[in-house]
Order: sequence, then C-alpha cells, then structure tokens
Amino acid sequence: MQKKNIVFVLNEFNGHGGAQRVASILVDDFVADGHNVKILSINEQLNQPSYFNDQVEVTVLHEDNYRAPMEKALFPNLKSLKFNVVSKELKRRAQLKKSRAKVEKFFDQFGEEMVYVIVIQVWGMQWLENLLYKKNIKIIGQSHESFEAAFNSHRFKRIQKYYIQTAKFLLLTEKDADRFKQLGFNNVGVMHNPTTYRKQQDARQLWENKTFVSIGRLIEDKGNDLLIEAFNKVKDQLPDWKLDIYGDGEDYKHLKLLIDIYDLHDRVFLKGRTENALEVYEQASILLLGSKAEGLPMTLIEAQSCSLPCISTDCAPGIKEIISEYETGLLATVGDADQFSRHMVRLAKDFTKFEAYSTNAYMESQKFERNYIKQQWYSLFDEVGAHHE
Amino acid sequence: MSNIEQKKTPELTVVVIAYNNELYVEEALESLYYQTFKDIEVVVVNDNSTDRTGELIEAYIADKPNFRVVHLETNSGGCSVPRNTGIFNSESQYVMFLDGDDWYTANACEVMLNAAKRTGSDIVAGQVIRTNTYETWYKRQIYSVERTNFNIREFPEMIFDSLSVNKIYKREFLERNNLRFQEGLHYEDVLFTGQAYFLANTISIIPVPIYYWRVVENAKVKSITNQRQDIKNFINRINSHRFLDNFMIESGNSIYLSYKNNKFFRHDLRLYVNDYLDVDDEYKAQFHPLIQDYLHENINKYEFIKLAEDLRIICYLLYIGDREAFQDYMYYLHDLPTKKARITHNGEFYYFKSDMVPAVDQRFLKVASPKFEIGIEDLYLTEDKLVFNSMVDLKSFADYEVVLYKWELRNKAIQHSIFGKNHNGRIEFDLSDMLPGNYYFYLTINFLGSEKRVLVKFDMVNQMEYIKVEGHKNDISTFVNEKNMIGLNNQLHSEVGDLVWKMRKRVRKFRNNRVKNTKNSFSTRLLKSFFYKLSVKNNWVLFESQMGKQFSDNPKYIFEELQNSNQNYKMIWSCENVNEFPLDGNITKVKRGSLKHYYYMTRSKYWVDNQGIGHLAPKKKGQVYLQTWHGTPLKKMGADKDNATPEEMKKLKSQTKKWDYFISPNPYSTKIFKRAFKYTGKVLETGYPRNDLLVQQPEAIKKKARSYFNIPDGKKVILYAPTFRDWNQNSYFDTLRDINRMSKEIGDDTIVLLRLHYLLASKIDDIQLPGHMINASSYSDVQELYLISDMLITDYSSVMFDYAVLKRPIIFYCYDLEEYLYYRGTYFDLKEDSPGPICSNLEEVLDFIRRPEQLEAYKEKLEQFSKKYCGLEDGQASKRVIKQVFK
Repeated sequence: MQKKNIVFVLNEFNGHGGAQRVASILVDDFVADGHNVKILSINEQLNQPSYFNDQVEVTVLHEDNYRAPMEKALFPNLKSLKFNVVSKELKRRAQLKKSRAKVEKFFDQFGEEMVYVIVIQVWGMQWLENLLYKKNIKIIGQSHESFEAAFNSHRFKRIQKYYIQTAKFLLLTEKDADRFKQLGFNNVGVMHNPTTYRKQQDARQLWENKTFVSIGRLIEDKGNDLLIEAFNKVKDQLPDWKLDIYGDGEDYKHLKLLIDIYDLHDRVFLKGRTENALEVYEQASILLLGSKAEGLPMTLIEAQSCSLPCISTDCAPGIKEIISEYETGLLATVGDADQFSRHMVRLAKDFTKFEAYSTNAYMESQKFERNYIKQQWYSLFDEVGAHHE
Repeated sequence: MSNIEQKKTPELTVVVIAYNNELYVEEALESLYYQTFKDIEVVVVNDNSTDRTGELIEAYIADKPNFRVVHLETNSGGCSVPRNTGIFNSESQYVMFLDGDDWYTANACEVMLNAAKRTGSDIVAGQVIRTNTYETWYKRQIYSVERTNFNIREFPEMIFDSLSVNKIYKREFLERNNLRFQEGLHYEDVLFTGQAYFLANTISIIPVPIYYWRVVENAKVKSITNQRQDIKNFINRINSHRFLDNFMIESGNSIYLSYKNNKFFRHDLRLYVNDYLDVDDEYKAQFHPLIQDYLHENINKYEFIKLAEDLRIICYLLYIGDREAFQDYMYYLHDLPTKKARITHNGEFYYFKSDMVPAVDQRFLKVASPKFEIGIEDLYLTEDKLVFNSMVDLKSFADYEVVLYKWELRNKAIQHSIFGKNHNGRIEFDLSDMLPGNYYFYLTINFLGSEKRVLVKFDMVNQMEYIKVEGHKNDISTFVNEKNMIGLNNQLHSEVGDLVWKMRKRVRKFRNNRVKNTKNSFSTRLLKSFFYKLSVKNNWVLFESQMGKQFSDNPKYIFEELQNSNQNYKMIWSCENVNEFPLDGNITKVKRGSLKHYYYMTRSKYWVDNQGIGHLAPKKKGQVYLQTWHGTPLKKMGADKDNATPEEMKKLKSQTKKWDYFISPNPYSTKIFKRAFKYTGKVLETGYPRNDLLVQQPEAIKKKARSYFNIPDGKKVILYAPTFRDWNQNSYFDTLRDINRMSKEIGDDTIVLLRLHYLLASKIDDIQLPGHMINASSYSDVQELYLISDMLITDYSSVMFDYAVLKRPIIFYCYDLEEYLYYRGTYFDLKEDSPGPICSNLEEVLDFIRRPEQLEAYKEKLEQFSKKYCGLEDGQASKRVIKQVFK
C-alpha cells in the first residue's frame, strides 16, 4: 500500500478520554503499516502521560498553554461600552490569525502531497479553516457523540459551520448519520470505534466470577448511582454476587454515600482507576452501563469483545449498534432502576441464557475488531482521495 | 393452575394478552408484579401460542396468587377474543389492558386508579412511550396537559389516539354500553376506542407516562400490525374504520366524522401509502378500488383541502382514481423520474397534472413550488469574475423549455445584488463592484411570467466546489453556512479595514432607514405660490402624452405641425423620464410633477394633452386647455360606466371643466364624449391629428420604422395588439401562452410585431423570442407601427379605429368575448359590426393568417367601417386643429 500522510487533530493529545484512546489505537495501527503519521494537538495537559506511542511526532499548537476562549461579538459589546470584553476579543482574533499561520506552516511540510486530516473534535476546526480550500488536504471530521448530545451543546453550531464543508463527516451510528443527512449534510459516513481488547473467554468461568462490573468516569451522566440502586433492589436474590465500579471522578463521594446508606460495603466496591481494563474483563461476569447519554461507549465494545454479556440503559442510538437485545445483552429505559435490576437477575440466574449471550457477544463484536476498523479507514481514505484531480 | 382462594375482589384488573411473545412476556408480567400499587389482579390470556409463551406464563404466575391465566384452545387471530375473555373472567371495578410484548411503568396502576377515582370519569388516559424514539405518543396534540372530565365532543382531537391499552375503564361503563372488542376484526382498537369515546360521558387525561410500547425495528417476526404488504391487512383496516363510521352515524355523531377522517388520512392511510412503491402490481390492482370506494363513502373531498400538501394530493388522486397520476406522484415524492411530465402552472399556481381532473378541482393538486435540482459545474473564480455552468433540473416539469433562470448574488446586510449573465447555462458574475461581506445565491425561476425566487441551499445542489482566491486586498471564497445557504464571501485582508467597513455598513443602514420627505415641504409650497402669481406667456405651449410616458399620439403630431408652421412658439414637453425621452433639439423637457414642470404649467398659455392634467396645477384665466383624447371610444367610460362611483364622477368633473377644446375623430365619438364626460365645451370634430400619418404615408417614416426592427423588404408584417384584461390579474398568462404558440406556428417569412400593454410588456422582456417575433411594445409611436403592418390582430382595442384608415385586414381574436362584454361593456356591437372575422380560438386566427384570401369576404364590411369611423380623416386634421386653437 502506498505510504500515506495522516494527521490527527485533537484538543489535548494527552487527555484520558475515549477519544484519545481510540485515536491512539488508530495511530499505532497506521504507523505499523508504515504510514507517515503526525499529531497536531491544540493544547496539552501539563505533565501527563498520553496513550500515544512515543515514536509519533506531536506538535502542540499553543505551547505556552494559551487556551482560546469562546468568540464574542464586537459591536454589541462596544455599544454596551464593555471595553474589556472587546479588547479580549480583539486579542483572541489576533492570536487566532497567528495560530492559523502556524497551522499552515505545519502543513507545508507535506508540500503538494495528499494529506488526510482526521479531526477528532470540532473545536480544532477553527484553526484549520483555510485548509478547506487546499486541494491536497482532505479533512475528515468526526463527532464522537450522538446527534442529541451534539445538538444540545455549543459544538452544534461549529459542526454546522465546518463539518458541512469537509471531505467527510463521520458519525458513530447510522441513526446519527441520518439525522445529520436530514439537515442537509451530504458527506456523512459511519465509523465505529475499534476495541483495544478482544478475547474469547469461557462462559462458565466468567459466570463463576459472579461479578457485575462498570468502567468509566465517575460523573453524574454515567449513571453509576442507578447501578447501585438497582443492585440494592436485588442483592438478596443474588447473594453471591458483587458489583465493582472502576474509574474516578467527582461523583465518587456521592456513590460512596449511597453505599453507606444502603449498607453495601461488602457487596459494592469503588475500585478507582484501572490501567489494565483487560484484567477487569477477565474477572467480571456482566458489564453494566447506566448512562443518561452516550455516543458509542468504549466499555460496551470492549466488554462484548471479551465475551461479556452487557446490561445497558437505552440512552443513545449507539447502544443498539453494539448490543443486540435478547441476544448479546439486555436494555432498560434510562433511569429505570427497577427494570434494570430485573434484567440483572434474569441474566445472573439463568446460565443457559448467560452462555448464549456471551457466545453471541464475542461473535457480533467482530465489527469492532481493530483490523476490521482499520480496513474501513483505508477504504474511506481511498474514497476521499479519489476526488483529487 | 389458578388460585381459587377467596378474597375481596381487587379494585383493578389488568388483562394481559399474549401470542408468541416468549422473549417479552416475562418482562410484561414483571412490570405488573412490581407495581407500586399492590391490590390488583392480573388475568393473562394466552391466545394458543405455539412457542414457549404458555409455559413461561405458567412458571411465572405459579407463586403469585393475584395472577391467573386462561389458555384459549384455538388461536383467535386477533386481540379481540383474548381481551374480551379477560373482561369476562374478572369482576373488578376498573379494567386496564396490557399487550404481552409491552410493559407498564412502575406506578402505572397507582396513578391511573387514583385519577379514575378522583375524577369519576368513565375513561382515563395516560401517556404512551414508544421505545424506538422514547417520544410520547401524541404529546403535543393531546397529552401535554391534564384534562379533567371532558366529553369527546368538546375535544374531538382526542380521536387521534385510537389505542385501547393506555386507558383505565370503569367496568360499569363497559357493561352499561355492552362495550366489547369486536371479534373477527383486526385493528379492533380503532372501533373499540372510537366507540368508547363517544359512549363515555366523561373522559380525563393525565400527562404521566404509564405504558411502554415496544417498537422492534428490523424485526425478524413482525407483529400483527406491521404486515402491511398483505392486502387483507388493508381491507381489515378499512373495515374497522367502516364499522366506526357506521357506529358514529347511527349513534347520531356524524358531525364528528371529519375528525375521524382526518385521523384516517394522516395516520392510517399514510402508513399504507409510505410503502406503496414496494408493493406488487397485484396489491395495487386491489388497493386502488378499495380506497376509492372508501373515500366516496362518508368523506367529502373538501376534507382534503386543509391537509398537508403531499397528503392532500395523495388523497385526491386516490379519490378520483387516477392510478397513473398517483404512481407518478409517489415517484415524484421519492425523487424518482415520473412517466409523464406532471408539474405545470395554470396562471395562478403550480399544480400536479392529472387528465382526469376538471379545471375547477386543480386546487386540490396545488403544489407550492416545483422541485428542482441544481447542478453547478466548472466553477471558475477570480478576483473579479465568477463563472460556472449551471443546469437546473426541474422535476417532472411540462413545458420546461419556456422556463427562464436568473441567477443573483445578494448581500442582504447591505442590500446589494449582483446579477449573473446567462449564456445558455453558462453563468457569469462580474465581481468588480463586490463589497465586503457574504453574498448568497438566489435563483429566480420564470415560467411564462410567473416568477418564483428561491434561496439556493446546499441540498439543492448536487455538488459544491470550495475555492478560495487570494487577491491584493481581499480574499474571495465559496462557502456553505450553518443554514445551508451557499454563498460567496469577500473578506478584507486587514483587520482594521474590516472593522472600518463594518462601521460604514452600520452608518449606511442607519441613513437608509430615515424617511425622505421633500415633496410637500414648505419651500416647495412657497415657490409654487410665487410661480402662480407670474404672468401667462402667450407663446408657451406645454405638451404631454400618456402621462409623460410617451412622445406620441395627437399631442406629438400637433407639436410637429406647430413646429412646421414656423410660428414663434416655445414648446415644452412633460416627461416621466427626461433622459429617455425620444426628442432631441432645442425643446424644453421637464420632469412631470417637478417644480420646473409646475412653473411651466402655470405660465404656458396652451396645454395640449391626451388624458387629463387638470389636477397638476390650478388653471388661470387666459390659459387654453386643448384635450386631444386618445382614441375612438369602444369601452364604456365616464358616466356611461355601469359601476361609476360618485368619487370617480367627481374626479372626472374636476378634469373636464378645465377643458376648452376637445378633439373628436368622428360623429359617432362626438355624441359619446359629450354624454360620457358631461362635456359642454367646444368640440373640434376634425379627425385625429395622429392619423394624418396614415393618410399621407410618408416613405421616410416607413423606412425608418422597418429598419429599426431590421425588417427586410418583402416580408409580411403582422401587428398583434391584445388588450389588457384588467379584471383578471393572470390574463397575461394566456396571452403569453398564445404568443409562445404563435411563434411556433407562424413561419419566419412573416414578422409579428407585438404591441402589449406596458404591464404585460415587462413580463415578456426576459423571454427570448424567436427572431420573427418582435416585442415592439416600447416603440415610441404606435402609428408608425400601423404604417408598416400589413395586417392587424386585436380584440377590444380602439386601435381598430385608427388602423381602419389604412383599409388593411383586421382579425379579431376574442377568446373571452362574453366575459369582456360582461365586465366592460362596449358602445360598439363587436359581433354585428366588426370589420373583420371574430375568432374564438388561436387556431382560427392562424388559419386566416395562413390563408389570407379568406379575408376578402370582409372587404365590404371594412369599407363601411372605415367610412363611418374614419370618414373625416384626410391628412389635414392637425392643420385644422391648429387653425382653430392657436390664433
């Protein structure tokens, strides 16, 4: 395969979110195939390690840790005599111009060669605006959240402005792509996230673990409180089972409180952050997800790829893309701890069902296997590059 | 085995029905077992399932005393028998229903029972959540607020919700009305719920979710309601509606049928029509007669009028039974090519054509705007030019060859437009005076005069190229904005320049919004009163023709004659637009209505005009007003008009009393003028000065006119002068269509000069006519056109009287003679006395043109006509007038 130039654009390359993890998997795979991969990071977190391989060159746009504020209108603020707002905005614009020039210089290294730019978050597009008019630079924009989540955020306007003009706009699910298509985007496509881990495991062994598990940031949106509530309802029906919650975040205190209230110290455990998710998947039985909103959750993908049946809230179109109801997992309505708890009993008590789901999960998760996804990216590059005169 | 322990009957029974729901039935029952309100009994009716449903139910309820099961021995094929069985096998005061693949919210029974007891309503309804979108069923229309104790007749919109499962029923209400689910009927809900609504005394709604309706997409096994391709399915649905119709009629509720019908169109019919393109011909063959019959039963076609455009057209086409048109419409909706070109315009609106539809019903097929796709190719952008090839594909459009496109780049913020020049699809924009900012593309589609201006959006264009051009001071680039509008952006390089421009823009906007008002300012009035006091000049003559718009007609010829007489007159012409007035030389030209005009008017001794300028300045003693008028009267005017209002008469009087002399072309006219205008002043019955030309027929003028239009010698010239039908705004459409047809049928050995009313003329400006059709509407002097024309086609215009001087053939094209006579009325009996043939359609006209020898038959009549109306015309009229007036 011909060597390709690929640039990843991220807000903070060394953050620890799902987006960075996915990008790092792709980077590793592209580098392994011999492509010229570079990372352009708008900012960086101070003194934090990243998921990325040390070999890959990272360029930080704002080395002085300048963080661009949101744009403000000039004339309304002038009329209201808010002069310091006006002067800050002027400074921002000046800095924007400088940074854009820096970006253009960065891309000069490729000359007239074709470059594929994968924009992980839309925030970065404001510095790439001028590149839209360069014929050799193919920008592929991605949104890692559902349409709903994007719609209700300040990112939506940016998406409407920038992603409509990119060579391709990738969403995580067909449904999300359709929503954008209805708004007039004619460049949408779907790309799943690749899984880091994939392991076929023995169903009996998994079941014997008698452990419900959840992995992810401890914030309200992730709904770990729902999991504790649900577990509490059925703790007596499942006396040998426990619930392990991995991850950290500001919700930790609240969850601890719930455990105290329900007196679940010996059944529910807050395990903190894990560096080795695979180990967690080896020691679990069923993965739980109680989120209120999601894109295409990595934990579900990874769990299914490791033969774990999953119980999740039906909080995004992405969930049904990963879990096939009654075949690889079960779904409950968002916020419904009762229904959720009944599902937990259903799976925990019926080994035949559990075994079937586990086997199906591993099979169906093939579509998230990293090589498969990598090939999809290559096909996408070919499609996008074909329009080059 | 059911539990037969005797206890007090619970207040509420939930009837669960199940058929082959092995995946879901446990969850359904669980949701009932874990209800917050415990005092319920559950009767599960298993409709002879073939999968594990039966055993799962038995296993689940084994240890639950409040749950019972009834296994039906044969499958009933629907929901009616199981539900009725459940009702029969219970005694509680209240009843609710649950389908075996759905489930209740945790407190459904509690809230519903509370509401039922609190309100005392026969029926209480709660919210349904569909699990594909998690949206509430009919939330906006019905379930947004709590409604207590209403009757369906007060809130008929409730009919939209035909579900039976989200409601709690008083058993006493069911028994009192013997209300059960109709057995043997699919879609039993439609009938049951409809009946329930109209039989209930009171209904209440609580805006609380109680029921989850499981929607399985990509279902491997479709439940009963999803198998739409089977025609039996459709028959069932219509039947259940028929039952409901009959019930409503028999129970005296037929006045509410329109609400029920509305629901049928918007929900039920739409479901079947959505799948129409996927069904086979056998299905279609049965579908159409079925729906056509039903639509003629209890439905009035006007119930379609208020529906959304696509549904309205669908219903109407199914109603009249035009299958081909319907099929084409389905293709059209799905952006597929249609078999026939269907979209056309009738003068008032665009509509979808069906041969089976009478003209009066076209409005049922009205289409807001034609669908089109724009292709933009080979985009070429420089600092001062934007060029691209455009191709507009009008979908299913008949007559697309007469459509014109005008491209426009508009900057709304500063209200600046740049128009593109169109050379056969190659559009060129001159960007040299493009200002900074965003310009968006607009496309104006002109179909025979009917214009539609559309903002070009990204999804209308099949591909878009992003180009940026960097210039010295600014960059120009193409882009798409967040509202999907396509545009051209002009960005100044320097930030400062950009800011300065933005400031200037705001100032400009501010200035434009200030209203300018100088007309009646104090200074003007002062000057005017001063001018009035000045003396009258005896050798000043003020001329005006057609309100300053023209240099023509009697005033022109009197002017020319006066010039030739070598008397020392100062002549002033009143013009609407001084720069465009076709008169050179040492003649004073003033803008009509200006201060200068006023000055000359109050000081000129002679006023010569052909309409009425008496209101423009007060008349002084010693001033002489010569009213030349502008044609032999054909249409009723002045006091003779049927609908002359007192205001009109007053206005007329104020003009006529200022006239000193009035020119009449013939005795017929004199009588009419005197009576219609109530004119008592002097009449000069001299013939028209303008017709002197037609008697003298100077070669120089003939040559000039012919060469103006590049008419080679030997070619025949026809003058087509239709009148403007002022009672019908859209009559221009018919005229344009005729012109279009004429241009195809008349060979190019004949030249057709078009003389149209100015309102009509403007619409034809953009249309590219073939070489032998010439738009002569703005030619300054129509008399010269008569001179070079060998034949005249007209209708109700007084041009016939002038043209008759030449004694050349006249054809009358009066396709709307009756209408004209009704609206306008004439002095002259066109049918009796016309000097040429009266044709009622274009074909007849064309026939006379092709075989002009037929016109010989009218020669005598033309002779008589000419004698009567043009008898005085001897070429000396101007001289005679001047002799009498200018002493």
